[in-house]
Amino acid sequence: MIRFLGSRLLRAAITIVMVVTFAFVVLRLSGDPAQIIMGADAPPEAVEAFRAAWGLDQPVWVQYFNYFGAILQGDLGRSMRDGRDAIVLVAERIPATLALTLPALAIKIGLGIPAGITAALHRNSFIDRAVMMLAVAGFTIPSFVLGLLLVLVFAVQLGWLPSGGQDSWRHAILPIITLGVGGAAVLARFTRSAMLEVLGQPYIRTASAKGVPWRSVVWGHALPNAAIPTVTIVGFMVGSLIAGAVVVESVFSWPGVGRLLVVAVGNRDLAVVQCILLLVAMTMVTSNLIVDLLYGVLDPRLRNQPRRAAGTA
Amino acid sequence: MSDIPMQDVTVVQAPPRAPRLRVPPMVLFGLGWLALMLLTAVLADVVSPYAYTALDLRNRLSPPVFMGGTWLHPLGTDELGRDVLARLIYSIRMSLLIAFGATIIGALIGTTLGFLAAHFRGFVEQVVLALVDFSASLPFLILALAVLAFFGNSLTLFICLLGLHAWERYARIARGLAVSAGSQGYASAVRQLGATPWRIYGRHVLPNIASTLIVSMTLAFPEIILLESGLSFLGLGVQPPATSLGSMVGYGREYLTRAPWILLAPALTIVLTTFSVSLIGDWLRDQLDPTLR
Amino acid sequence: MTALLKAEGLVRRYAMRRGLLGRSVEVRAVAGVSLTVERGRTLGLVGESGCGKSTTGRLVLGLEAPDAGTVAFQGQPMSAPGTVAWRSLRARMQMVFQDPLGALDRRLPIGVQVREPFDIHGIGTAADRPARAIEALRAVGLRPDQAARYPHELSGGQRQRAVLARALATEPELLVCDEPISALDVSIQAQVMNLLVDQQERLGLGILFISHDLRAVRQVSHRVAVMYLGTIVEEGEPDAVLHEPAHPYAQALVSAIPHPGRRGGRIVLQGDPPNPADRPGGCAFHPRCPIATALCAQEAPLLKPRAVDGRLVACHVAHGDALPGAGEVRRAA
Repeated sequence: MIRFLGSRLLRAAITIVMVVTFAFVVLRLSGDPAQIIMGADAPPEAVEAFRAAWGLDQPVWVQYFNYFGAILQGDLGRSMRDGRDAIVLVAERIPATLALTLPALAIKIGLGIPAGITAALHRNSFIDRAVMMLAVAGFTIPSFVLGLLLVLVFAVQLGWLPSGGQDSWRHAILPIITLGVGGAAVLARFTRSAMLEVLGQPYIRTASAKGVPWRSVVWGHALPNAAIPTVTIVGFMVGSLIAGAVVVESVFSWPGVGRLLVVAVGNRDLAVVQCILLLVAMTMVTSNLIVDLLYGVLDPRLRNQPRRAAGTA
Repeated sequence: MSDIPMQDVTVVQAPPRAPRLRVPPMVLFGLGWLALMLLTAVLADVVSPYAYTALDLRNRLSPPVFMGGTWLHPLGTDELGRDVLARLIYSIRMSLLIAFGATIIGALIGTTLGFLAAHFRGFVEQVVLALVDFSASLPFLILALAVLAFFGNSLTLFICLLGLHAWERYARIARGLAVSAGSQGYASAVRQLGATPWRIYGRHVLPNIASTLIVSMTLAFPEIILLESGLSFLGLGVQPPATSLGSMVGYGREYLTRAPWILLAPALTIVLTTFSVSLIGDWLRDQLDPTLR
Repeated sequence: MTALLKAEGLVRRYAMRRGLLGRSVEVRAVAGVSLTVERGRTLGLVGESGCGKSTTGRLVLGLEAPDAGTVAFQGQPMSAPGTVAWRSLRARMQMVFQDPLGALDRRLPIGVQVREPFDIHGIGTAADRPARAIEALRAVGLRPDQAARYPHELSGGQRQRAVLARALATEPELLVCDEPISALDVSIQAQVMNLLVDQQERLGLGILFISHDLRAVRQVSHRVAVMYLGTIVEEGEPDAVLHEPAHPYAQALVSAIPHPGRRGGRIVLQGDPPNPADRPGGCAFHPRCPIATALCAQEAPLLKPRAVDGRLVACHVAHGDALPGAGEVRRAA
């Protein structure tokens, strides 16, 4: 188990290093950071001074290690627009985003998983077809289209709910529904195929053939096994809690991390973009780590055995 | 790609394949819609009633026919009096171009890296696998936004960027299947005949895994349309004066209350297209390759 | 005249890792094998599965490079796998596989596949290659119309004939057959073996025939080598080795052939089946050997001619260096 944990931590660390390297490489490839940050019409002396101050006159690999060191110390640069620390700017927005993504996650899980299980248990029935049709529809309607349709119906035509902004809880209803429905569709499709795969396994047929009640076959054998692949996709959803609402926040003018990201990209505010990129990567890697550990709990086979058994001749 | 193995064959009987297929009506609908979209994209210059940038300032925000408009502009006009139908037709061309380009780029990159990993093993393979882990662990939208922030935007860059979406799936598939073909079986048999790696991978391995790759491409295609339209909707994808389905929705959004038709036509087109391709992809997967999840 | 193929002191190690962070264990699949294949002759290589015979086959063909030792083909050292020289050498040495269905590309008709060696090595013109392919098929007893068939449309024996046709298309001098008949029905095995012998006479092939089937080996071989855990333990004329084996492992192998008229029981080997990852010291066979002595646990015997009749054998007891022991020798303190 310790070895299992160790290898997972190693992989997580490698991924983080790759994200940081990616940000560094992209930052350097995109042009002279001094010029970008100081502006094209900055006096040459000022640019030189900036270079010296930030160590941009040193060899690339020294810059890389400095960059790495700064990030480890939590120094993610300042926003180009108002000069505040990028990390503070981003942190301020996180609660607003979570106010949308957490309830939406509850909808995804509460709606998607039961729908997928029901569809799988009634395979090829009317319920199954209806659920799958809705799921495909939910997955193929882009969130900005769904969001705008909801606005058109509930805000413009019926006037029941506000169309945008963040003044009261009523403002959050439409964005939460928009986020939740699409995710629920993905989860329903996934859960259904995971369940169908498990239900086709010999041990399920054996269990029901030897007279175990169908109810306990489903609850005792099928569900725990189908949970394993489903956990992966839920983990991905948890990992994107912080920045999974980029489009929806824009549709509803919701002042969260996603809106900040879009504005920052538009303004080429690199420090903020890079800060969000790293934050998302950390969240994602952490949730992947948790998923891997959950795998160990759910599937005892993965706990002690090596995942990749090295082959011989 | 799929007809490579067929070129010099006097076919007596096709290789193993499911018996005569019954195509479900929904899939037929999807195929029909997709054909219509392809025709529209190819014949855009012929079928479009106006140039997509032509202004008709006397008929600004005129509604479509079924909402009391005239046949002059069957789907209405936008705030500058540009014909919505014409813009829709050119948007379809743009969005399909991007989606096809990006899908093919992704499949090429992924398959090539997968084959390289399978061929060289060792260090190359570890690097490819680390890259796969990396790109599977970040939401692609965020990555794409970051790249757009750093590099600015151009159509070529945009297509290449979207091409990176899902490359890791092709890489995984290509590597896995090439390794299993190479360790034992036809690929190693051909290798010991003295064949070059080009021949082994191009003539033998690729045709054998083509059906799996094509199914993956069909499943990735709607995702790319959604990504493209999402980014264009945010104003970070296709830039004016060029137009795509997503950017039409994005610009039409400001006229949501006064002229919802500007936005509804492209929105409906996106939904129907992704829906059609998803149905076709699911169906193809069930027919050709039940091993894919 | 130099031998067609001469391999000396071949060693092939694999690293087997236990777990992601586990220590890697070295496995010596082939631990010092020397062999010679002459033109127009067949060397049979027998042993149980996992003893390294297939790896030996791949090494002598140069499909993988040995960690130690040399392979010389017609006196020339083998070039590194994947190089241009190595690829063009493939026209002169070929392999026949155990599983013909796996060795054929199921998406191409066999005519196209038999034609491939001509395309690869630029033999003949593009126009006459189909005719050459038909000729190659005819030589192994397949009909010209079967060229358009896909592998799954043929029977197992026909598939192995197709594989053989492809291997012989370039008229190679050396053929390595790795368990070529073990996937076939018994009734077809004899046909394929006769075909092999016929082709050997026609082309003057040198053959390395790898099998665990002693009777098949005896039928086609001019010499036989017995392999155990990566080394050859006995080598000689097939009748001599298979009638009167000198090495205790060979004796056990031979006694396992069902034989109606034979007196005396089978020799049942004691102990665990051999594990290349945990190779015993001394003679690799000593933990299972019924006549092992203390010397066997300490010193590995060399493969050398026996004083009586010059047969090559690697056993202290057979050479008279030690008196037969009672087996079950634990590693001496």
